[in-house]
Amino acid sequence: MWALDRPWRPGTRPLLADTPTRLLVALAGAVAAGLLLADRIPLPPGALRVVGVAAGQGALLATALAWAGCRTRSGVVAIVLLVAAAVATTLDPAGALGYLLVPLWVAWLARSGRLAALGLAGAVPGRAVLAAVLLGAFLGGHLLVSASLTLGVRLRAGRGGLVLAALAYDVGANVLAAECFFRGALFNRAQRRWSFATGLLLATAAYVVRYLLDPLLPKSVEWIVGAAFYLTLLSAGNCWLFWWSGSLVPGGVAALLFFAAYRLLGTGA
Amino acid sequence: MTRALAAAAALTLAVVTTLIVQAGGDPASALRHVYLLPVVALALAFGGLGGALSAGATLVLYASVVLPAIERSGLTPETIEGLVTFALVAGVGALGGTLTTRARRQRARYETILAVQRALAGVTLLEAALRSVRAVLIDRLGAADVGLVVRDGEREVAAAAERVVAGSVADRVLTGGAAVFVPDTGDGSRPRRVFATPLVVAGQPIGVLAVERVGELGGEERAAVEALGAHVAVALENARLTSRARRFADELERQVANATRHLEELDRAKSVFVAVASHELRTPLTALQGFSEILAARSLAPEEVRRMAGIMGAEAARLGRIVSDLLDLSRLERGLAPTLHRTPVAVEAALAATANLFRRGAVDTLVVDCASALPPVDADPDALERILANLVSNAVKYSPPDSEVRLCARRAGAMVEIEVLDRGAGIPDEARERIFEPYYRAPDVGAVRGTGLGLAVVKALVDAHGGTIRVESAVGAGTRVTFSLPAVS
Repeated sequence: MWALDRPWRPGTRPLLADTPTRLLVALAGAVAAGLLLADRIPLPPGALRVVGVAAGQGALLATALAWAGCRTRSGVVAIVLLVAAAVATTLDPAGALGYLLVPLWVAWLARSGRLAALGLAGAVPGRAVLAAVLLGAFLGGHLLVSASLTLGVRLRAGRGGLVLAALAYDVGANVLAAECFFRGALFNRAQRRWSFATGLLLATAAYVVRYLLDPLLPKSVEWIVGAAFYLTLLSAGNCWLFWWSGSLVPGGVAALLFFAAYRLLGTGA
Repeated sequence: MTRALAAAAALTLAVVTTLIVQAGGDPASALRHVYLLPVVALALAFGGLGGALSAGATLVLYASVVLPAIERSGLTPETIEGLVTFALVAGVGALGGTLTTRARRQRARYETILAVQRALAGVTLLEAALRSVRAVLIDRLGAADVGLVVRDGEREVAAAAERVVAGSVADRVLTGGAAVFVPDTGDGSRPRRVFATPLVVAGQPIGVLAVERVGELGGEERAAVEALGAHVAVALENARLTSRARRFADELERQVANATRHLEELDRAKSVFVAVASHELRTPLTALQGFSEILAARSLAPEEVRRMAGIMGAEAARLGRIVSDLLDLSRLERGLAPTLHRTPVAVEAALAATANLFRRGAVDTLVVDCASALPPVDADPDALERILANLVSNAVKYSPPDSEVRLCARRAGAMVEIEVLDRGAGIPDEARERIFEPYYRAPDVGAVRGTGLGLAVVKALVDAHGGTIRVESAVGAGTRVTFSLPAVS
């Protein structure tokens, strides 16, 4: 038994241990530089979006990878792929398919066993995936119904290419980075340090704040309240799925289904 | 049953929402009160989690009625009714679930204490008690593992591990006396919590109760484990005392049995001794009586008179040795050491005198072999003579006629070692361990005469000189008795 036959030292690692500080500072510097330049010189269209995607999603993903024990250059590779995909998307919406390279890179890291700390190792329980599908479908369906009832939002029609591009972005950047950081890294560390409830509250609060600060979110009270409502439920559900299954995949599935419903609305992306 | 209840509750929520929407989506519809039924049912059935989930599901469904109404009409009495229903459902779900969970935990705690008491009933060994309690606690606490350690005097009895490793959680609790909580052991996809609490009886820590669980082990549950630990400590202390009493009883029984057996053997040996000693005393007395009567009744030639006087003197000397042995034994049994008058004694001369005493016939089978420049020993001359006489007497008695008996002496540091070596029958291993006991005679001595006192007296005399004595023997090959006495420096 561990408590009897294994030596133990009191004390725990800091919550933010292994954070790639220099990389995050560099990304913050890039954002600041982009904003400064945008005020002084005309930038190419979509340049700020490229910087924002690289800094926002890249910072989350690189931090998650570093917390899992990967070297900083693994995060740098992910950021480079994100930048490339964002640049390609500015040139042509089909370039968003480039975002799919990021999950491939993460899958390669996971296959070599380096992302076990993020819940990306071993088999994925089928029941957890089924529960994730139900959760994502319920929240997504509820969003579609509520949005159409309260805000009069209609589904996108005849713009399948944009929806697919947004879905590729979600798969390779938005959902992947958020689930890796807020669930695999932050919630996982917090629940191991304190408790499930504390981890859930911390991860959910950070998750909601991240999306409320997202410049792409419509700045109306209804959208902000709705985002807080659905993202809180999604985050809580995904934390439970992660705790229950020990895998990050079910939460990713639920989030993808929810964001797929979100992309069907005539806003976002 | 639980699945059916959950399904019925979900169906009820969906049906009520559908009916309210179909009736115009009035937030103040009387049907909204039906939401409380599945919430209360699930809170009572599944506790806090059931209450929270059912309340959450209700809020999500009812929101599709209330929020559009607020969007359309603002805060009207109807929409406020809807918001109050929100609060009521959430409160009922949370409160009902929490109270149910607490009541269940309390009941589970009492049931666990009862199960522990049952597990310990009739268990007399501490190890078995720990195993039983551990099995009960793993089952009752839903733990991945439970460890129990109890101090029993100098030893530590542990269940779930061979021993307590230094620096482990259990070791720290034992030494520090305070409970320790480890939120995660660090291995596994889900957190593995560990909580270890001291088992305290009368203010003294007697052991540790450690619980490992995959998942949550919250503050309330840790407090419950601490409270449970107090009960387990008392129960285990009782088991420990019972176990110790049983061990003492077993040990006492064993010692009494050994002592009884020893006394019986001693009694038997004394009975044999009385018979043998009577015979040994009677033999020289008979000789003295017979020869004295002959001398008194007949006129014999001077040579014959001298021969008979010699025999009478030898028999008297033998009688004197037996009496001396008996007196020495009497002193030994009273815990007194033999009285010694120590003086430097030449070893070679003492060996030669003893050898001459036992030489008989034309063949000289007694060989004296002393190292050169041997120092004298610091000994009582009479005691040394009796030691040698006893050893040589035994060697001669138990050796075949004409076989050689050697008396050797050599220096060994500050001592002089004297050795009596024969090529007789030898002594069996089981008898060799007991030959220095008073009254003991080896079982296969046959018709050889003896009281069983000689070697006991020899050992007492050697010990009184501060020397040592040892016996090496092989059955059929002979015996070597070596004793040492302090040399005069």
